[in-house]
Amino acid sequence: MTDTVDQSVQDGRRRFVRADGPDKVTGSGRYTADLQLAGMLHAKFLYAGTARGRIRRLDVEPARRVPGVLAVLTDADVPDVRYSPGVADRRLFARGTVRFEGEIVAAVAATTPEAASAAISAIELELEPLPPITDPEAALSEDSPLVHPDWADYDADEGVVRSGNTASFSSLSRGDAASAMAKAETVLSSRYVADGCHAVPIEPRAIVAQWEGEKLTVWTSTQVPFDARAGICETLGLPTNRVRVVVPHLGGGFGGKCGFHFEAHIAALARAAKRPVKLVFTRAEEFLAPDRRREGMTIELTSGLDGDGRIVARQGRLVLDGGAYLADKAFFPQLAAMQATGPYQIPNLEVEAHLVYTNHQPAGSVRAPTAPQGCWAVESHTDELAAAIGMDPVRFRQVNGLDTGTTGPTGQVYDAIGLQDCIDTATSMLDPTSETADDEAYGVAVGWWPSFSSPSGAYVKIDDDGKGQIITGAQECGTGAVMTLRQLAADEVGLQPEDFELVYQDTSAAPFDMGATGSQTLFNNGRAVVAAASQLADQLKELAANRLEASASDIVLADGHASVTGTPSVTVPITELAGEAAGGALLLGHGSSPELAYPTGTATCVGDQGMSAWLSPQFSCHVVKVRLDRDTGVARVTNVAAAHDSGRILNHTGALGQVHGGIMMGIGQALTEGTVYDDQGKQRNAMLLEYKLQTAADGPAINVEFIESYPGEGPAGAKGLAEAPNVATAAAVSNALAKLAGRPIRQMPMTAERVWNELKPSPSNNDTSITEEGR
Amino acid sequence: MPTEPFQIAGSIEDALSAMATGARPVAGGTDLVVGARQGKSPLPSNLVAVDRIVELSTIEQNAEGVIVGAGVTHATLMTDPLITSGYTALADAAALVGSPATRNVGTLGGNVMNGSPAMDTGAPLIVLGAMIDLRSQGGSRRVAPSKLWTGPGSTSASDDELCVAVALPKRSERSGSAYVRLEYRRAMEIAVVGAAASVELNDEGVIEQVAIALTAVAPTIVALEGLTDLVGRRVDEDVLAAVAAIASSQAQPISDLRAGADYRAHTVGVMARRAVDAAARRAAGETIEVPVNRAEGVGRTDRP
Repeated sequence: MTDTVDQSVQDGRRRFVRADGPDKVTGSGRYTADLQLAGMLHAKFLYAGTARGRIRRLDVEPARRVPGVLAVLTDADVPDVRYSPGVADRRLFARGTVRFEGEIVAAVAATTPEAASAAISAIELELEPLPPITDPEAALSEDSPLVHPDWADYDADEGVVRSGNTASFSSLSRGDAASAMAKAETVLSSRYVADGCHAVPIEPRAIVAQWEGEKLTVWTSTQVPFDARAGICETLGLPTNRVRVVVPHLGGGFGGKCGFHFEAHIAALARAAKRPVKLVFTRAEEFLAPDRRREGMTIELTSGLDGDGRIVARQGRLVLDGGAYLADKAFFPQLAAMQATGPYQIPNLEVEAHLVYTNHQPAGSVRAPTAPQGCWAVESHTDELAAAIGMDPVRFRQVNGLDTGTTGPTGQVYDAIGLQDCIDTATSMLDPTSETADDEAYGVAVGWWPSFSSPSGAYVKIDDDGKGQIITGAQECGTGAVMTLRQLAADEVGLQPEDFELVYQDTSAAPFDMGATGSQTLFNNGRAVVAAASQLADQLKELAANRLEASASDIVLADGHASVTGTPSVTVPITELAGEAAGGALLLGHGSSPELAYPTGTATCVGDQGMSAWLSPQFSCHVVKVRLDRDTGVARVTNVAAAHDSGRILNHTGALGQVHGGIMMGIGQALTEGTVYDDQGKQRNAMLLEYKLQTAADGPAINVEFIESYPGEGPAGAKGLAEAPNVATAAAVSNALAKLAGRPIRQMPMTAERVWNELKPSPSNNDTSITEEGR
Repeated sequence: MPTEPFQIAGSIEDALSAMATGARPVAGGTDLVVGARQGKSPLPSNLVAVDRIVELSTIEQNAEGVIVGAGVTHATLMTDPLITSGYTALADAAALVGSPATRNVGTLGGNVMNGSPAMDTGAPLIVLGAMIDLRSQGGSRRVAPSKLWTGPGSTSASDDELCVAVALPKRSERSGSAYVRLEYRRAMEIAVVGAAASVELNDEGVIEQVAIALTAVAPTIVALEGLTDLVGRRVDEDVLAAVAAIASSQAQPISDLRAGADYRAHTVGVMARRAVDAAARRAAGETIEVPVNRAEGVGRTDRP
């Protein structure tokens, strides 16, 4: 395979083709579903098919009699373990009750997929359906039935504030919002409702599990191999050193493949059948079964402005549809509260956020969880505020937005941030005040997102021929973050990125990493790789110092050579030094990322999940141009300008890809992507024809600029990047649509039919939820 | 599942003989395979592939008009000069089907025989006066689309009949046609509603003939009735408003995932007026690129 690394440095930006790119585009790469093992069986699950019910009878004996079936499992066949981070509310298989339609009741392994399907059909399941709890607001009322009647008995982290159907509650409070609101010149309230949506990785997930004696290997399409290993060990009662989790190429994740999901089911089937077992999801299963839907959210905001148009107070109430299990989202309420607060200077703040159990599919981390919806609401609200006082919406954001040295809504003081630069840059790339056709309008929105510090480790070695390997715990989910590690290692030792191969996505080969989650890969594993490679650099300098009869501190490593500083003619190739080391102490380095100190704020938090002050915060401003067909409500985004402060950009090509992808995802959320439920809490559009992703043909013209003057605490001044581009686009689209429709579209996705309903003359259109006081 | 015989027909006769013993025909497979994957209906166990039959993939002009082989792909329909010049509505529709991959293998015959009320080529065939040629070992017959399509996904063809061609009658010099659909995205889309129109003008630019058919607002593609009042009038705002009102009133849409009935009834009127407008402009000699959905309106492709 040709490794086309473009080392060109143009206008100071580094661009290179990712190491896994050729494999992925030519088809030579192998994914989990491609794996075939001798004697391998095929797994299928029996799902509840009902959003809420009691299991009256479950008889799997008919399934066992189906020819070719070698294992059938239910709750009775696995260890009695309740698990899940935050609150242990989950079991591998339903016990007595089903809480969403995709809950697994039984699993089968058979010699062919067809035999497994036949066995699933043969299982006799009698469910007594119960009225599903589908409205999060109603679920909060005291007389609502409970999704988890035994919630109080579950083990839970101390910090999680919960009761009844409230799975996790958080608040942010600073100053005195009530009295500041009472004194405000202008007060405006808005209510927005975002539907749930999906991550939709193009690769439906697949798992292969194989036992050799007491040792288990699981190949799985996960974003978080160490988390998957932990889940397997917890639910099946295994020590970590007997479980190896390997991820072949991953066909996208977008958060949907975060968390421990189905690996233990397949491992348990393989143990029972004494054969390797493979699971490959259908597209429908990919929509219905994982607990990683993007949460639906209701956002109510009230803001008070003084006579100069400054925000003096904000009150907010957020209700998040968490679905049947908590999954990884105990911190979502506080993160949502930060999103609904926005990157603004607001001295008085009072926001409460309820994450609610319902009988919908569980929500969980999908790219920038809570952010597209929260930003959509707060930025639509921001345009309403600006309009209410007749101020230009960009000016309003310049006046109220955060800047270097200002204090944020939760009391965090920002030392050097690029929000104002983002606003200036994006609005100059696509001027929202310029003339448009009658059916076109501009919309502007700003967004913010944190970077996350996490333990992470890597080894780096250079072999006798001067070629190296990076053995890292980091997981590549398509962002290119792992690919960029080669550049960091190469820079430390004076080699080229293509001199390093990656060994990754194998829990038994590499040290821990949190996985492709929270945009953390390069931010943390990059620091580990730099630390490991710097050990190699020290070793090479010692070897070179001996060879060149100089002090190690005078040795410079560059362009494949070690040279004496100031005397470039005194030099030795690194390949020679590597050959020498191979006969001696070997070139081995290891590194980890020390936990970074988190900043603090002054806000008071109930149910604090550590989200009220952000490390290396990222900022963005998106300007969009939208065209609207007023006769049908069909809208199309034609142009996007995006300016991002994500610290120093290490690979410009990869970074552009992240922003382009985030914008496309944001347009989908804005216009066409939303889960539609029936009145029984079941998804109606769990298929790609009816769940309308944006296609390449829908892509607008996108221009991106990175504001690199505000380095973050990641390697070489980087911050996170993968999630930030998925924050502000939907909000910008909303603000453009509001201009075209004459009023905000208060439900997302802002589908053609919803827009048309706002456009058509109808008495109900006067029934707006906006109240304006004090003017 | 163990597969039954899969035959590859080299001629129409081969295909008919296989179908006489219960084989189902498959050309591009874009409906059959996708439907099976979605669990709509399992893949037939006995299949005969008709995609390699050369006689099915020709477009021929004769004194009566143009005969389009059933195996002609959408990719061909959208670019063939005979179709884009004289039967432009059909080219408009073919250009909107699925994605480039779908259009390269999906065929006109497959689209016709699938009988979906949301099929894009259906409304154009009706307004262009197309007839469908069916053959079996028992003989041949020519049937109007309105007699062929009997309900969603069902046709009056018997199981051993193969669609071999679509006959398009000759068009006058001053005629034009167009197909416009409502779509939420610009690829991999299915019509929410759609409309095709054929307009023939006299030398004074007055309507001599007009036909309109609607997509996805009834159990089958339907032709509009009561258009005779439009004959003898110029295509102006009043006529277009009347077209929209007639289309909306004759539509019998359902509410489903894609749209509510009210929205469909309104937007099919919008599509009908746009189709008539584009057809009339083409009849008058104006060039509107294929497909109309990419030439103008919100879905247009901007060329720098």
